[in-house]
Amino acid sequence: MPRPSHPSRFPSSPSPSPSQPSGKGEVSDLKLQLRQLAGSRAPGTDDSKRDLFKKVISYMTVGIDVSSLFSEMVMCSATADIVLKKMCYLYVGNYAKVNPDLALLTINFLQKDCKDDDPMIRGLALRSLCSLRVANLVEYLVGPLGLGLKDANGYVRMVAVIGVLKLYHISASTCVDADFPTMLKHLMLNDPDSQVVANCLTALQEIWSAEATNSEEASKEREALLSKPVIYYLLNRLKEFNEWAQCTMLDMVAKYVPSDSNEIFDIMNLLEDRLQHANGAVVLGTVKVFLQLTLSMTDVHQQVYERIKAPLLTLTSSGSPEQSYAVLSHLHLLVMRAPILFASDYKHFYCQYNEPSYVKKLKLEMLTAVANASNTYEIVTELCEYAANVDIPIARESIRAVGKIALQQYDVNAIVDRLLQFLEMEKDYVTAEALVLVKDLLRKYPQWSHDCIAVVGNISSKNVQEPKAKAALIWMLGEYAQDMTDAPYVLESLVENWDEEHSSEVRLHLLTAVMKCFFRRAPEMQKTLGAALAAGLSDFHQDVHDRALFYYRLLKYDVATAERVVNPPKQAVSVFADTQSNEVKDRIFDEFNSLSVVYQKPSYMFIDKEHRGVFEFSEELGNLSIGVESADNIVAAQIVGATDNDLLLSTEEKEESTVSSSNGSAYSAPLYGGSSLASSLSQSELAVSSSITPANPSPTGLSLDDLLGLVSSPAPAPSSSPPSLKLNPKAAMDPATFQQKWRQLPISLSQEFFVNPQGLVALMTPQILLRHMQGQSIHCAASGGQAPNFKFFFFAQKAEEPSMYLVECVINSSSSKAQVKIKADDKSTAEAFLAMFQSALSTFGMP
Amino acid sequence: MLQCIFLLSDSGEVMLEKQLTGHRVDRSICGWFWDHYLSQDDASKIPQVIASPTHYLFQVFREGITFLACTQVEMPPLMGIEFLCRVADVLTDYLGGLNEDLVKDNFVIVYELLDEMIDNGFPLTTEPNILREMITPPNLVNKVLGVVTGNSTNMSNTLPGATASCVPWRTTDPKHANNEIYVDLVEEMDAIINRDGMLVKCEIYGEVQVNSQLSGFPDLTLSFANTSILNDVRFHPCVRFRPWELHQILSFVPPDGEFKLMSYRVKNLKSTPIYVKPQLTSEGGNCRISVLVGIRNDPGKTIDSLSVQFQLPSCVLSSDLTTNHGTVDILTNKICYWSIGRIPKDKAPSISGNLVLQTGLERLNVFPVFQVGFKIMGVALSGLQIDKLDVKSLPNRPYKGFRALTRAGEFEIRWAMSSEPQQQNIS
Repeated sequence: MPRPSHPSRFPSSPSPSPSQPSGKGEVSDLKLQLRQLAGSRAPGTDDSKRDLFKKVISYMTVGIDVSSLFSEMVMCSATADIVLKKMCYLYVGNYAKVNPDLALLTINFLQKDCKDDDPMIRGLALRSLCSLRVANLVEYLVGPLGLGLKDANGYVRMVAVIGVLKLYHISASTCVDADFPTMLKHLMLNDPDSQVVANCLTALQEIWSAEATNSEEASKEREALLSKPVIYYLLNRLKEFNEWAQCTMLDMVAKYVPSDSNEIFDIMNLLEDRLQHANGAVVLGTVKVFLQLTLSMTDVHQQVYERIKAPLLTLTSSGSPEQSYAVLSHLHLLVMRAPILFASDYKHFYCQYNEPSYVKKLKLEMLTAVANASNTYEIVTELCEYAANVDIPIARESIRAVGKIALQQYDVNAIVDRLLQFLEMEKDYVTAEALVLVKDLLRKYPQWSHDCIAVVGNISSKNVQEPKAKAALIWMLGEYAQDMTDAPYVLESLVENWDEEHSSEVRLHLLTAVMKCFFRRAPEMQKTLGAALAAGLSDFHQDVHDRALFYYRLLKYDVATAERVVNPPKQAVSVFADTQSNEVKDRIFDEFNSLSVVYQKPSYMFIDKEHRGVFEFSEELGNLSIGVESADNIVAAQIVGATDNDLLLSTEEKEESTVSSSNGSAYSAPLYGGSSLASSLSQSELAVSSSITPANPSPTGLSLDDLLGLVSSPAPAPSSSPPSLKLNPKAAMDPATFQQKWRQLPISLSQEFFVNPQGLVALMTPQILLRHMQGQSIHCAASGGQAPNFKFFFFAQKAEEPSMYLVECVINSSSSKAQVKIKADDKSTAEAFLAMFQSALSTFGMP
Repeated sequence: MLQCIFLLSDSGEVMLEKQLTGHRVDRSICGWFWDHYLSQDDASKIPQVIASPTHYLFQVFREGITFLACTQVEMPPLMGIEFLCRVADVLTDYLGGLNEDLVKDNFVIVYELLDEMIDNGFPLTTEPNILREMITPPNLVNKVLGVVTGNSTNMSNTLPGATASCVPWRTTDPKHANNEIYVDLVEEMDAIINRDGMLVKCEIYGEVQVNSQLSGFPDLTLSFANTSILNDVRFHPCVRFRPWELHQILSFVPPDGEFKLMSYRVKNLKSTPIYVKPQLTSEGGNCRISVLVGIRNDPGKTIDSLSVQFQLPSCVLSSDLTTNHGTVDILTNKICYWSIGRIPKDKAPSISGNLVLQTGLERLNVFPVFQVGFKIMGVALSGLQIDKLDVKSLPNRPYKGFRALTRAGEFEIRWAMSSEPQQQNIS
């Protein structure tokens, strides 16, 4: 069903937009009415209360602030009506965080409800109590939670278990001190209710993973969750669990390392029927377990592929269209890993007319991958049909796919025919794509030149506009000048229109083609060559000018030498470079059944702590727009963020973060005591800035002074810390190496400081910063972001040493702060490098 | 772990917001999503999983309502999508449909449902049967009862026993005056006929849909005459795995009410019930089009709701189409919709006419894809047949009803016969 595309009056901020009722009058009206009802015991009171509550909740939903009714709502909450209670819980849960003082009022009635006779009310009350999330009320949670965990009713226990997890996120110490984790463990292994067991599992996983960074015991407990007895116990109960709990379980089993192959087969036999579960998430979870368990057993791994193929294919074609994309992404991953195994299923990857283009794109890639000697003809026939598709990007993609298959050298004969047919379709984008392909094809299979050139010769260069295609055509004109009678004249007319050619790529190709043509058909070309060189020499584009000059000098030196240099006999290209590294692909595979598969990027690239700079910023901005958050809440949120992340990190990275965070805590004590800085900074900022490595303790004092100086004065004098470090001005590193290194190294230093206002103005075009930093021998590996958040990855190399420094720098232009994280091969000089980096950044924008 | 769920109306307005964890997700994320959505050309085709600057979003679109869920951490993508689909299904079930007004009128119930379906970002109970026992659906009977008895709560007074029962999908002890069970085979045929007129792909995706109105705790077995044709099957959690593995028999204790017992796939079918023959002939900036439809393999039952739909290429300036049966409409986006209905006995339905091409264009260089729709009652084209259905542990023999239905899924024809000389002869 098409959605309407008219712009909407969308309330993008929580404050009511002008078109909505401001609600002021209504709210005070409601206040009055609620007050009247509060004490009333007349029959029918509940009904009128219900109407009022409904109104309040609906205002809340629309985005009108009804927090001023808090005390009235609480007063009205003394009722036996469960729907009223629920609405009241909902209201209280929404506003307690903003009104921590008033939230105290609700504790009383919630606690009373926790002891109600009806288990449903007990459960609901407990859930609401734990959802208040007000830090100073945690003491009131412990009692009811303890009772809840021992409740006779499974529903209440289930709510209580999640309540413990909520409590942990509000105040970890209260939760641990009350010994709740141990109680959960006991429940997990003994409770008859499967949902209670499942909830215990989720809660414990989260709690112990977070605790593991601080306590040895917790990390042991976390490992114990993956021990054989626990896993077997859970696997045996698996079928009692509901589908969602099964997903959680399967996720855990995938991390389990069985001791021998018998165990592996036992587990797989037990789980096999899960592949036929109606819930796609369960199927995918099972597939992940199968793949992970058999990674080291090549034969079985292959059989697993065969086994999981049918369920995955069914999932893509059946179920809701919403699911098929996610499943298809996973299938895509498997197909790319083992295309041979899917060769007979190519028809599943045929595109249907109605499918969205992102699905078609995935399918095209899969079709390309599974093409082999036996199915190439059918696949190429199918792909050719898409070339006439109404969807132009897909038509282009499919032509490229045909080319890729041709380069895999199956049945090239048939494919060349098809490509040549494309050239005759007289559609500009089809011609353009096909030209580029024919060029690539000729570079690999020069033996086809005769057939191709005959067709290419018929194409008028006037009909080709796209630079890439034009360049390809010109390349062929130069390369096969002897076979194309009118090549010199085509080139001549192109040279005549030199000024109208906007793409430097095309002009470069034109120069080379004219040269090549000249060596073969000198008499016809001499004039054109002169014109081309003259035009090239006066070209405003640096490369074009240089190449023209180069050719000119070569020719002047010796024409024969020039020919040897510019037009030597060509060797056929055997392999074109792959785009995504194998390492990245393996990494994604390890994260099967996760979002990374959908994005085709390992999660560290989009979700890791280190890569989340921009992310955290915007979260803060989000918080600002809500209103004032109390400081402890922010800290709590950050802790949660950290634990969430730890769940995602692989083991080595976790160890890393353990190291850096314990270092941080070791150094926070002197910071608190020793300097006035501590008081000026909020606790959270301190935590960020204090993770200094202890590798070389003596310069810490010095860096503290730096830190002080930089934080207190927004525009420090550039000369304040003379850099003692020498950097290699010609350091080089490709992005892939950078990424790898960035992942391997721990953070040596991280700091936040102000950027001077001139710098911020200059940041309007981030390229200037890159050039500026390059002037200081600090090079950029990658940059991105939009105002107000910019993110840069820099690297630098110590002069005369291979030691590298990697920097992540996030600049927020609205808060004029820069947040810098440094990773260094040689940690002892990281301080000096940071000083250098700072001074380099502080002079940015200065005249 | 989902952090927040929003329900958006089809103008992007937030109808409902359910925060799930301590990380409060600001509403502005919906604004971002809506802007992103408006910026797409074909908005119904944005991916189900998108990365916003702050969160990862799952979105499911049903009947004008967008179900949006946010997360900041890695999680199995299908868990998010399946859950949202389930929310949509449960709401449809509860509200007797799904649209903006229904959600707005019953938002308290929606909140109550979400409260029981997900806690702290983890899905809990999504079984309609259990939910139904915890929260009574709003219906006319309840309303009348409420007025009469003065008890208008939509909450049941007892907790569902099923949360602890070993058959979580079944209400503990439903009672029905008439014991009835209906089994429907519903099949969808996907087919591609390529440009050379070849049937390159023909598959059936089918479901066994059951509506069970049986009292007590019945134990059923359903067997098929020819399970060997099935390529792959998926089951409702109630189906016992062993009997299927050993004898291809479905043995189960059904949930109460409607549910999908099994879904299956049958591939490599050899023929389609109907044929569609489009013919395009271009000459001098005009294109003659004619499409012929008829029965190829008579399925033995009436073919109903037959329709052919195709998009006129953008290079077509105007069209003049007539038909000898049914109606032709040119919809927005130049989509031509030919509604045929039933095929008449005496003639083959056809459509014919002239397309005027853009000036400068001699012949049509984009070929439309013809999408076909049909419905055949009383037959499952895959050939799957139900052998028998046994009901155990019921005092009286229940009424058993069986039906079958096949309809077109993605049924498309890319074939366009052309009477022009083939182009490759020129070169």
